[in-house]
Amino acid sequence: MHATTAITDYVAAVWRCRYFWFSLVKNDLRTRYHRSLLGLGWSLLNPLAMTAVLCTVFHRLWGLPISEYGPFVLSGLAFWGFISTCTLQGCRCFYQAETYIRQYPAPLVIYPLRTALGAGFHLVIALCVVLAATWWFQGLGNLGALWSLLPTLLVLFVLGWSLAILAGVANVMFPDMQHLLEVGLQILFYATPILYKAEMLRERGQGWLVDLNPMAVFLDCLRHPLLEGRPPSLALLGHACLWGLLAATASGICLARWQRRLVFLL
Amino acid sequence: MASILLENVCLTFSVRQRMRLTLKEFVVRSMFRQSRNPRVEVRALQNVNLRINEGERVGIIGHNGAGKSTLLKLLAGVYPPTSGRRIVQGQISSLFDISLGFEPEATGWENIAFRAYLQGETPRSLREKVQPIADFSELGDFLNLPVRYYSAGMHVRLAFSIATAVDPEILLVDEVLSVGDLAFQEKARARMQQMMARAKLIVLVSHDLASLGSLCDRVVWLDHGTVRLDGSTQEVIEAYRQHVREPGRAAA
Repeated sequence: MHATTAITDYVAAVWRCRYFWFSLVKNDLRTRYHRSLLGLGWSLLNPLAMTAVLCTVFHRLWGLPISEYGPFVLSGLAFWGFISTCTLQGCRCFYQAETYIRQYPAPLVIYPLRTALGAGFHLVIALCVVLAATWWFQGLGNLGALWSLLPTLLVLFVLGWSLAILAGVANVMFPDMQHLLEVGLQILFYATPILYKAEMLRERGQGWLVDLNPMAVFLDCLRHPLLEGRPPSLALLGHACLWGLLAATASGICLARWQRRLVFLL
Repeated sequence: MASILLENVCLTFSVRQRMRLTLKEFVVRSMFRQSRNPRVEVRALQNVNLRINEGERVGIIGHNGAGKSTLLKLLAGVYPPTSGRRIVQGQISSLFDISLGFEPEATGWENIAFRAYLQGETPRSLREKVQPIADFSELGDFLNLPVRYYSAGMHVRLAFSIATAVDPEILLVDEVLSVGDLAFQEKARARMQQMMARAKLIVLVSHDLASLGSLCDRVVWLDHGTVRLDGSTQEVIEAYRQHVREPGRAAA
């Protein structure tokens, strides 16, 4: 009962300062796009250029059809951009907000939320480009399945927010955490079917690498409706929800344990 | 009914002797060898008991490092007590470190909104306050520029204008009576007095004993994190002055 009241109060406190964190997110996005001549296009340039290079190379080497491989790899890079931004920018989220934290006792969870919302915005923009590419190469066959992106994006957002909280707390405790996470993410990038299909690993007896990787589950949930025109199975969506719940629980426990002490470590 | 109650409050900072611990050092040194970077505990506040009721204007005095600012941050809820109880009733508005906490890439106008939202304003309530804040800051067209181009004095002007635009129940103030240039200081002093007249309860930290004498009806003297004396303004300030004048007094 006491824990429920505490959680309700905490959520109410986050809601009370909604104008604050929402205006910070808007400012982050505006600052980022105002700086560049291409505006929104600048943030998409990196995954688009990477996709163009990969498509050219793999098309020439192995004859992979660009119409299929282009949207496939672009969706993978869009997803990975979200995960790596939440994690690596999440490392800095409490330092970035240090002056606010030292002046106002606002709930700390709003600072990783700022990171996750910014990254979420870029993900949605990037997925729109994936959608446009898919329609260009494969037609409008996926229209009926697009509704399933909503629950997936919601769970994915919970995952990103949780990662930002965990990375933020860890980086306050240990200042070398960001470098270690950069290395860890690099390994996870190649262990996740972003540039290659999961079947390629399974054919080589390495299927466990995909089965144990939560990122592969989220990626499948995104790719099924976008690229194959079918919603993810309930089992797959449930699997993603389970990982999201696990990440949310871990970040909640972490924050409950460190929330009071974090201000002394900054 | 605004009130503050502290019961046996202690606050201990646990810091590393040299620098922050890296994960590498944590794994290698803390688990396998004796750490060369041990924790040091700093007792910032010890067994502080305070009850401040609505209508009181309380000044906090003490030497540098006595725990005055720490006490104020604890009252504001920024620092949680290590032990003891802190019960605060009423909406708190705090004026400390006010020149910090700006978004450097955002304009003065945008920063007014960020800070005001953090202080509990809504877009609707801010609409009426934003122009008076801008006018009070006297920053004019500079408000259209990102605040990274502002001088330190302009930062303080803007911060003070925003921070004092609220109607607080509990007002916590730390040494902000001397902000900006001479002309702005006069305005700031008048604004502070208006704000203090509206607030239901005030806690003020200052080394300016003359100001405290005119603004407060009660003073708490902190000494190395403990309450040394708590009483009427005249009595406590006199005792503090005598203590400071004592020959051969150990340096704070």
